Amino acid sequence: MIDRRQFLAGSGGLLVAFTVPLPAACATPSRPAGPGNVTAYLGIDADGNVTLYSPTTEMGQGTHTGHAVIIADELGLPLERVRVETAEPSDPFRRNGSMSSGGSWGVRAWHEPLRKAAAQAREMLAAAAAQKLGVPAEEFSVDAGELVHEPSDRRIAFGGLVADARTLTPPAEPKLRPAATRRYVGQRVPRVDIPAKVRGEPVFASDVVRPGMVYACARLSPVFGAEVESMDPAPALAVPGVQRVIPIPGGAAVVAGDSWSAIRGAEALAIRFRSTAHDRLDSTTISKQMRSGLDADARAIEARNDGDVAAAFSAASRTFQADYEAPYLSHAPMEPWTCTLELDAEGVLHLWAPSQAQDRFRNAAAQAAGLPVERIRIHTTLLGGGFGRRLGSDGVPGAVHTAMALKTPVKFFWRREDEMAQGWYRPAQVARLRAAIDADGRVSALAVRTAGPALGASFSPSGLPEGQLDGSSVQCLRDTRYKAPAYRVDWVRVDQPVPMAPWRSVGATQNGYFLECFLDELAGQLGKDPYQLRRELLAHDARALTVIDTVAKAAGWGTPLPEGRARGMAYVESYGSLCAEVAEVSLRRGRPFVHRVVCALDCGSVVLPDGVRSQVEGGIVQGLSAALREQVRIAGGGAADTNFDSYRLLRIADSPESIETVIIESGETMGGVGEPPLPPIAPAVANALFALTGKPVRKLPLSETAST
Amino acid sequence: MKIECQVNGEARSFEADPGMPLLWALRDLLGLPGAKYGCGISACGTCTVHLDGAPVRSCAVPVATVAGKQVTTIEGLGGDHPVQQAWIELQVPQCGYCQCGQVMQAAALLARNPSPSREQVREGMNGVLCRCGTYPRIEAAVLRAAELARRKEGQS
Repeated sequence: MIDRRQFLAGSGGLLVAFTVPLPAACATPSRPAGPGNVTAYLGIDADGNVTLYSPTTEMGQGTHTGHAVIIADELGLPLERVRVETAEPSDPFRRNGSMSSGGSWGVRAWHEPLRKAAAQAREMLAAAAAQKLGVPAEEFSVDAGELVHEPSDRRIAFGGLVADARTLTPPAEPKLRPAATRRYVGQRVPRVDIPAKVRGEPVFASDVVRPGMVYACARLSPVFGAEVESMDPAPALAVPGVQRVIPIPGGAAVVAGDSWSAIRGAEALAIRFRSTAHDRLDSTTISKQMRSGLDADARAIEARNDGDVAAAFSAASRTFQADYEAPYLSHAPMEPWTCTLELDAEGVLHLWAPSQAQDRFRNAAAQAAGLPVERIRIHTTLLGGGFGRRLGSDGVPGAVHTAMALKTPVKFFWRREDEMAQGWYRPAQVARLRAAIDADGRVSALAVRTAGPALGASFSPSGLPEGQLDGSSVQCLRDTRYKAPAYRVDWVRVDQPVPMAPWRSVGATQNGYFLECFLDELAGQLGKDPYQLRRELLAHDARALTVIDTVAKAAGWGTPLPEGRARGMAYVESYGSLCAEVAEVSLRRGRPFVHRVVCALDCGSVVLPDGVRSQVEGGIVQGLSAALREQVRIAGGGAADTNFDSYRLLRIADSPESIETVIIESGETMGGVGEPPLPPIAPAVANALFALTGKPVRKLPLSETAST
Repeated sequence: MKIECQVNGEARSFEADPGMPLLWALRDLLGLPGAKYGCGISACGTCTVHLDGAPVRSCAVPVATVAGKQVTTIEGLGGDHPVQQAWIELQVPQCGYCQCGQVMQAAALLARNPSPSREQVREGMNGVLCRCGTYPRIEAAVLRAAELARRKEGQS
């Protein structure tokens, strides 16, 4: 166990956590964070300024600000006196055994622990003030970074109390401040990370500069997972400025005095890769294999089975079925993979890395370096986009091999083409949905089968044993609030050699599209309004009804639209939040254009309202981009789309003319916000197109199928 | 070769391969990392800077061609340029990686057209990608920046 006293004696600060406090950021290279050293959420220095060690990565979703306002309100401190940095991995920052940012957990998981940590600090400061003034601690309140003793009209700044407070034991059950005292939570608060980003300050991993740093550009296989067969460094070394070629797993790093020379060297390098079993794999083959999985009853793994689906289909007066397909997607963060590394004089390897998964990165670095994890320091920078791509540590080994070979500071980076071609995509997937309709024209059974590669098999370090269910492949299907008398969900595994990772909202993107588009087709079959069909299937669930009723009302569902325009609705629950969207769509020169999107989001309660709106807008635009245009086509065992010329992200001129957000604070358990607004937009737009053209959208992206 | 040019109002002289894109010269040789690498093929706009006042994709501009010219990067925009003010007021960035390019594109757009219509903003900003999906705020912020700039103009 650390030595909290020793640390505190050195820093003179107050640190609070559930366990023994030591922020890893305060550990020095000569005393690296390690077993027995645990970390804390916040430190208060002698000037009364707070450093918040956030358990999350800030990648634009605003959790650092969310955490800062929670702390500021509980401490009674002006927000500008809270500085936030991402902690290094250790127990107080872990969920389920590891530290990472995903699953839209950033605010909902840490809201209460951080409040409690701040309340502990506040009570320790109050106790110190009580000793100093000889009055009961209960008589103090906090205001503007000071303990206030109203009866005697005296105030003491936090900073002046830290030396005494740090000798006290944190209270186990501190009292939280009442909601009425909050100044920031629930208000429109400017994000703490925005000014530096707008001024162009060096906040990203690609901006980190270390003394004597060189630059290393990777050259990697265009075929997934291919190993190096042979390499001739001479043509690379002939490029002016190139210093060295270093073999790394799956390729080489070309080292130069500047990025440009390193890139040119990497392009000049003569390198051959071994052939693989999938050298001829292409999208058509993958699609065929997935679709044949839809017929493989014997291989289907059941995810849910309510009622008697078979009986309902036997007794049905008619049935309806449709197959759908969604492609591989690239996360395409705007910052290609980069990482700056330095092996210090004491043998500690530092990585300034854009990481969503600190433990995973640290373990990967330790393994690649042949060092114990205690000798790896992960400095998490702000991320130039994550969306799940930076959960994968696949870029770490090459960076570490390079740094260990050089022994000098190095900025290691991939070109955009490698960022996009190395995979870790949102899985491609197909689905078959079937409905049984009884003699009264009611849905008597729904059956959903998805087929495709298992995200868990590719992404999870331990893989996914055969016969086990891949959660992502049935996400939002097995746990939907829709209710039919009989309901079955199963999945057929169709492995592919294409690396995959969670992509913002994960399985909810494909599965939300499948189910929500099927419902609109089914409504057409039944001669019902799609909104009314959803109301029937959700009739038992007041919370869900409120969400779809809210969006219908705000969007003017059923009211006339200009000629050539139609509405589509979709409702998807993911990451603890219920989200419904209505899109208004027309065709412009034969291509879908989205005029207006209305979103109703029930995320329980809200910490940063403008942050929620920002995530709703971003999720809708990103989801629309994917729906309209995005797909990674596979050819020759690798990605055919490796840069923005053919992987065409949505641009501003094609983005919706308006996005309106209605936040529903139902008071239920706080839900996530980063991901839930994304899944409904693809089916909402597809359903609008179906309403407009009469042609269902059974395959994404829409640009493939929707032109008329 | 030796390159001499003005960068953010200062005379700079440095050695560089003539074919090196301006982006890498700014980032690696001149210590100005505001312009970002996104694609290397002038398809994303994260590297946008001004060359003699016009927005260019610095990843596709050989540094030899900037000799004798004026380069402005986000570091030279001043920090309280109307575009930057509007960007903070409307809380535009999410991850922020593309935003230096967005801000520089917007500043150039407004320099040429101080009162753009909404459609002109959407057209003028179309070359700069944002993966986080901040387009609705970018659009609003460019219009707001135009307003702030006009107000400032009116005062001076």
